[in-house]
Amino acid sequence: MATGPLRFRTPHIEELPIAQSRQSAGFAWVAVSTAQDDPAKNWGTTNRKRARASLGGQTEQQKEALSARVQRETERKIKELNSDNSRDVVIDIARKPGQSTGGAFKAGKTTGTKKILASGKTFAHYLDDEEAEIARTGRRDGDADVPAAAQRASKTPLARRKPRADSSASHSPAPSVAPMAPPPIPRLQTTDSSAAPIPLDGFEDDDEEEDDKDRVPRMPTAAEMEALLNAPPLTYNQARSAPPPAGMPPPRLFCETCGYWGRVRCMKCGAMTCSVVCKDEHDQSRCLKMYA
Amino acid sequence: MARQKSLSTTTLPQNELAPRTLILDNGAHTIKAGFSSHLTSTPASTTACHVIPNCIARSTRDRRTYIGPDLTTCADFGDLAYRRPVEKGYVVNWEGEKAIWERSFLANNANNDGSELGCDPAETNLILTEAPNAPISLQRNADEMVFEEFGFGAYYRTIAPALNAYALSLFPSTPTSPSGVPLECMLLIDAGHSHTTITPLYHGRALHPAIRRLEIGGKTLTNRLKELISRTFDVHREDHLVEEIKEDVCYVSPSFTQDLERTWKGGRYDGREVDSSVVVDYVLPDYEHIKRGFYRPHDTDAMNLRNRALGIGTETGRREHVVTLGNERFTVPELLFTPSDIGMRQAGLCGTVLQSLDALPEGLRQAYLANIVVVGGTSLLPGFIERLESELRAAVDEDTVIRVARAEDPVKNVWVGGARLASDEVVLRSVMVTRQEWAENGEVWVRRRFAGKKGRGTHRVEAYLTLVGSSMCIIALHKASKAINTTPARIPPRLIPATELAFSRCQVQGSSYLAPGGPTHTPSPSRGTAASPVHCGSVSLFGGIALP
Repeated sequence: MATGPLRFRTPHIEELPIAQSRQSAGFAWVAVSTAQDDPAKNWGTTNRKRARASLGGQTEQQKEALSARVQRETERKIKELNSDNSRDVVIDIARKPGQSTGGAFKAGKTTGTKKILASGKTFAHYLDDEEAEIARTGRRDGDADVPAAAQRASKTPLARRKPRADSSASHSPAPSVAPMAPPPIPRLQTTDSSAAPIPLDGFEDDDEEEDDKDRVPRMPTAAEMEALLNAPPLTYNQARSAPPPAGMPPPRLFCETCGYWGRVRCMKCGAMTCSVVCKDEHDQSRCLKMYA
Repeated sequence: MARQKSLSTTTLPQNELAPRTLILDNGAHTIKAGFSSHLTSTPASTTACHVIPNCIARSTRDRRTYIGPDLTTCADFGDLAYRRPVEKGYVVNWEGEKAIWERSFLANNANNDGSELGCDPAETNLILTEAPNAPISLQRNADEMVFEEFGFGAYYRTIAPALNAYALSLFPSTPTSPSGVPLECMLLIDAGHSHTTITPLYHGRALHPAIRRLEIGGKTLTNRLKELISRTFDVHREDHLVEEIKEDVCYVSPSFTQDLERTWKGGRYDGREVDSSVVVDYVLPDYEHIKRGFYRPHDTDAMNLRNRALGIGTETGRREHVVTLGNERFTVPELLFTPSDIGMRQAGLCGTVLQSLDALPEGLRQAYLANIVVVGGTSLLPGFIERLESELRAAVDEDTVIRVARAEDPVKNVWVGGARLASDEVVLRSVMVTRQEWAENGEVWVRRRFAGKKGRGTHRVEAYLTLVGSSMCIIALHKASKAINTTPARIPPRLIPATELAFSRCQVQGSSYLAPGGPTHTPSPSRGTAASPVHCGSVSLFGGIALP
């Protein structure tokens, strides 16, 4: 019966073709009419609508399209809920009365700030820019080590160049990483202890820790801590909270009218309602889908 | 213009800090701004912190545009349209932000002469906060605007959660740290206007791989409530009103299912009485006689409501517009804990906290679970802390200690932390970038420095340790690290309990040992003898995860 891929919520199971089924010439599926008196009734054998109904509601494509549509709708709604500004309003900044009225409004002192002030970019633009840059170069502007282009190429011949450590010992604040960086947390700086775990509590005995490893989790070593502290920040999209694990209960549904549990789905538009009273109200005023 | 030019030329002496520091917690909803100084001994109190609306509002009624602090003069909040320069927690629109800053605290503005916040940027240090995980281009814009456009003398841009580590600890068992010393471990939940971020802090530094963001904030809740109320009464254009309603009546339900049952009116044939302790009538303001709406228990008699709408039976004899709020009161804040209610594919607050902890080494999890601090305006919702704690309790092992605390003033806590940081000259000097350094080293260097690549909040100090009896030590900070040329006289000796030193690893002449607990080597008080000054590698408080 099921010709398309079977779909369950989890896990995703797809029906793979076992044997090769290629349609060859001279072979076609034909609607077989049953023995009926009225020929008009046979017309239905090729009716797609009826075929769909016999398959139990919707076809796979339709279900997919519907869920995609629902998802798009939800995303739009969330975006609207998270919008910062009032809708469809353009607010200009009123000039102060004392400010020069004639001539061009002077915004920005340098070309850079002029550009920033005049920029009409929204957050989405900045985010897209950054994502595009990461996709293109594989790194962000800031988190790579000293970009080669930022430093003037030295014209000193290699033989006469001083070792790097010397140059940073001078007072030049060139952004060389290692020598300039004072250790972020001084107690971790002690080199001889870098492999030892940080003693956390007085009662945390070494022997006990050996015995009962899963009860007292190991403290990170100083080196691990250092690595954790110096890790570059995540990007905006990486820091977003991940969806809950698959084992969680399905999303709760609420009545569209009164906010109680949604128990009945409207056949036309898919909105949930809790009771006949709310369903009636939904039908009268809210159900936007006239035909379905 | 002439004045501005003279400003930019009168810069401070080379790489010196200005006497005053402006701490600017630039939130999406409000700016928290105020001054602190490292010259005074005590950090500025919260009274120095001003809360300024960070928006430009346009009223269609009186056809005025209110910029930032002007909004306090606004009498009619009806039909007020907002434009916020801060989008998703980041300053995106600098044109608007500049207008608000100028109106609020920049001295070259005629409007705030004599105001407490007025300042000359060139003679002020700035601590500016941003939301974590900012796109780099926005950070670059901020740096450039601060130095080039406003011309601040020195500048430190940090993520807002990090400053909370400098505020006082909320857990009584943790010893009080002197200002300028960050708390050791803190899991900071910042429930703000745009989103809720979770930041584990270690000695005031964020553990970046573990920062998580739940994209539900105060504005999401306001917009959701707006949507729900609009089912019966159109408030789509009344942002301010809905925000007030949210602040007044919304709460986080301890038991969602029960509360939902209590507010259900029942079906057609099995009608129920709604619980009037939950269902309330909110009287809307008319901005003439009622400036701010208020709520009272729900009047079940529909006739009364109808009469009151006509002005019959009200106290003043005026018409009253009433919105009845039932389950909206708790279904809206519920989004923070179950974002799937609006179809958002993100874990709730508790799940996000656990995701953040999962990114950390296992040994640290207990330390962070026992030091959860919640700040941000959204955390003012009643029941927020209790619900978070109970959800976390259900999600982790029984023998794990969980402590959740809300900051005393969740809105201003970042600012308080910043003020305490700014009152310590050593720390302040170590994090600030002066205008000259900006000019010399360029934006990339500055950004790297703010990112902590050069280390920030360094307490690498040489200290003289004096044991006073067995319980207290005096640590006289002798000299800060080489990068910081501070005169020792500026730093007063500090008295700290020996318990704080108990597990801190001190470095004595290159060798590492545990202070009083370890090998019995008492640091000899040796201020006079130059031969063996005790180089206390840190004034670190690693014993600070004091369990109750």
